[in-house]
Amino acid sequence: MVFSSLTFLYFFLPVVMILYFFSGTKVRNVILLVSGLLFYAWGEPFYIVIMLISTLIDYTAGRLMDKFDSDDKKRRACLLVSVIMNVGLLSIFKYSNFIFDNISAVVGQTVTNPFVSVNKWLNDIFPFELNEKRIDLPIGISFFTFQSMSYTIDLYLRKIKVQKSFLSFAAYISMFPQIVAGPIVRYEDVAAEIDNRSVNMSKISIGIAYFVKGLAKKVLLANNIGAVWTEIKALDYGEISVLTAWIGILAFTFQIYFDFSGYSDMAVGLGKMMGFNFPQNFDHPYISKSISEFWRRWHITLGSWFRSYVYIPLGGNRKGMKRTLLNLLIVWALTGLWHGASWNFVLWGLYFGIIIIIERVGLGKLLEKLPSAVSTVYTFLLVVFGWVLFDTDTLGDAIMFFKAMFGGTGVFADSYSLYMLASNIVMLVICAIGSTSLPDKLYSKLNRKSGAAVSYAMPVIQAAVLLICTAFLTDATYNPFMYFRF
Amino acid sequence: MLKKKKKASAGVSVDQIEKLGKKSVKRKVAISAVTMILFFAILIFFAIMTVFGDKASFSELENRYLSDPPKVSAKNIYSGEFSDDTETYVADHFFGRNIFVKFKTYADLFVGKNERNGVYIIKGSRLAQRVDEPDSALIETSINAVNTFAADNPDVPVFFMLAPTSGDIYSDELPKNAPMLDEKNFIENVYSGLSSDISTIDAYSVMSLNKDSYIYYRNDHHWTSYGAYLAYTAAAKKMGFTSAPLSSFDIEHASDSFKGTLYSSALYDGIEADTIDFYHPTNGCNITGEYVYKSFGEEPEFYDDIYFREYLDVKDKYSAFTGSNQPLIRITSDSTGGKLLVIKDSYAHSFVPFLAQNYSEVTMMDMRYIQISYKELIDVSEYDSVLFLYNAATFSTDENLKRLTY
Repeated sequence: MVFSSLTFLYFFLPVVMILYFFSGTKVRNVILLVSGLLFYAWGEPFYIVIMLISTLIDYTAGRLMDKFDSDDKKRRACLLVSVIMNVGLLSIFKYSNFIFDNISAVVGQTVTNPFVSVNKWLNDIFPFELNEKRIDLPIGISFFTFQSMSYTIDLYLRKIKVQKSFLSFAAYISMFPQIVAGPIVRYEDVAAEIDNRSVNMSKISIGIAYFVKGLAKKVLLANNIGAVWTEIKALDYGEISVLTAWIGILAFTFQIYFDFSGYSDMAVGLGKMMGFNFPQNFDHPYISKSISEFWRRWHITLGSWFRSYVYIPLGGNRKGMKRTLLNLLIVWALTGLWHGASWNFVLWGLYFGIIIIIERVGLGKLLEKLPSAVSTVYTFLLVVFGWVLFDTDTLGDAIMFFKAMFGGTGVFADSYSLYMLASNIVMLVICAIGSTSLPDKLYSKLNRKSGAAVSYAMPVIQAAVLLICTAFLTDATYNPFMYFRF
Repeated sequence: MLKKKKKASAGVSVDQIEKLGKKSVKRKVAISAVTMILFFAILIFFAIMTVFGDKASFSELENRYLSDPPKVSAKNIYSGEFSDDTETYVADHFFGRNIFVKFKTYADLFVGKNERNGVYIIKGSRLAQRVDEPDSALIETSINAVNTFAADNPDVPVFFMLAPTSGDIYSDELPKNAPMLDEKNFIENVYSGLSSDISTIDAYSVMSLNKDSYIYYRNDHHWTSYGAYLAYTAAAKKMGFTSAPLSSFDIEHASDSFKGTLYSSALYDGIEADTIDFYHPTNGCNITGEYVYKSFGEEPEFYDDIYFREYLDVKDKYSAFTGSNQPLIRITSDSTGGKLLVIKDSYAHSFVPFLAQNYSEVTMMDMRYIQISYKELIDVSEYDSVLFLYNAATFSTDENLKRLTY
């Protein structure tokens, strides 16, 4: 299920929340687990098994580590099992197609992904309809494996205490607010709350505010501006004007930000309603003054996960210049690969890795001295170029698109681009302003000046936004049978 | 907090602060309560109304049947079909669906988008279908199919009429720079690709010349009866019959509340509703009936009128012209003229009543509903002429003409 569906919003959410509010503390984890499993199974009736296996193994690994408290060899073995299992699941379900496609390309003949035969085997035994040609990606696998690993690794490092209750641990992994698209909530973040949290009206209303804000970002902004990119992305890059290319990639720039950060806001909001404090995942990344800063503000929980569990264990910056550079490249290649199994993503990750290295060795200092407008534009442009790598289908497409952005087709603006600009300029401007910190600043200023009026208006505004989002969500299912073609 | 402390030391009593604090705490509680109640009240209200409200099985606005309740079965649940069906069902029957969807139109207009679901909204004037540059390979296939048809039936004269759509005729009203196929150019290109055995009919000029008259519906993608009449006069010149004069028809305003396909797409209420006119011959030939062939191998249904008035009471009013789209429709009249085969899209429906003045039998064949070889349905050699009648939008996207080759 996704948050931006009428079924979730109007049926799943109120039913679960009402049950949750009126249940005792102990029953709440049961509701959390059951609703999480239902939420997950709604879209992935089969792959829920994968999540449960991963949960069970990590829970057991945790208990064993606790049991062999003084035997470091055994503790290390438990950790190893957990990490290998999680990375293994990710490799099979996310990367095996990619790996075997590449092997096929290298040897010059088709090498079939052996895991596909497991799907065939399962289809024969059970009434599943698993893909028999490729391995499909289970929803959220990149998130729940990372969350799970944060538990076993931190437990090994003795940063946290063991979770003895399987219910609590399973509820942590599968709770629906963050299961599909993060933020990557580390066990450490919610260790206290998973067994002891309170729900009250104030938290619920703060949660609602986050949720509605996130819903609006996703439904009103991301989906609408995203339609512009969908249209332009499908064009022949060899024929589009400079302006068309820029409108397209800017549309994607805003789409991905509002989509992802909107989803994170909704997750944080739902968490708050249920008594959790999830970490923030975005902090106005598009106004950053360097790429290093951008990555401290974009998908914050992923960056910090890689920092804690890959970069620092590799030695971070404590083993000399050469090793630091290597560590950075490893982390950034992995960050890229985490986003998807294709060379475009690896390249996209390395692209940022290299820029960050350059900023480290001197450019960063220069950026600090430059006027902030210059460093903001520098950062924003580099991020936008990054999105070209990120969202074009092949490397060839990316190059073609770059060419179009810089006048490769020889046309700066044609009538199509002018039409697209006129039709979407208002949305683009709204998105641009919306991705700065201006709205937040404006709100707190208004709140300070005319406190009561603004705060009383907020619930009404939120209700109106909820209804507008509902209108937009309903519209997405509007499907007139037009006999234009009949 | 720090600020308050400073103030307190500057002469404000502790009591006052407590009062202020209490007031703001009270206000916070009140706002939290209102937030929570409003949010959940909306969710629960719509959920209940959706579950218990009346459920239509057919949406007139969308011209389609709405989904049935999802079927619960192990297989459906395993395969994920149950989830998908539930989501569709909830969306289809969501309380206030049509109002919500309409709201989006106005939100789009508000942010400067004058195009909705492929339809341009021209405030104060009309709605117009956006027609994009066609796939040239598809057009070539269609043209070749028509040429093959003509070559396969060398003894029957073949005519071809490609009608422009309102978006091109009124292109000066479209939003600035709006993408719109240059249909004049498109029609010329198609005509030049047709073999010399095929006579082309210029409908574009007569439509363009009469653009100040009511020749296209404002809320539907079809031409009006008058538009169709003008095209009929253009056809007469090429096809060699004398068109019945306008004065020989008695015009009935059958409906003045027609909002058709373009309205369904754009959902913009600000355009004046359309009038549907029936042209009844007064001193010409009488139409003797209509035979509708709904499926292959079955006997046709017979109707003694070509106007299906029951459609005037529903949204899909254009279907009042000869009924809805069917594979084969034959109209007979007491004319002494020959037999005509029309291979067509729905533009023909308001057009054929005029042809019945000049042909004793007009058979409309719709390639979009015929999955078998047309040779199994009709014998072209029985006809005196064949007319292809398409509008530019259909012809530029339709993939069914290729079936004329087998």
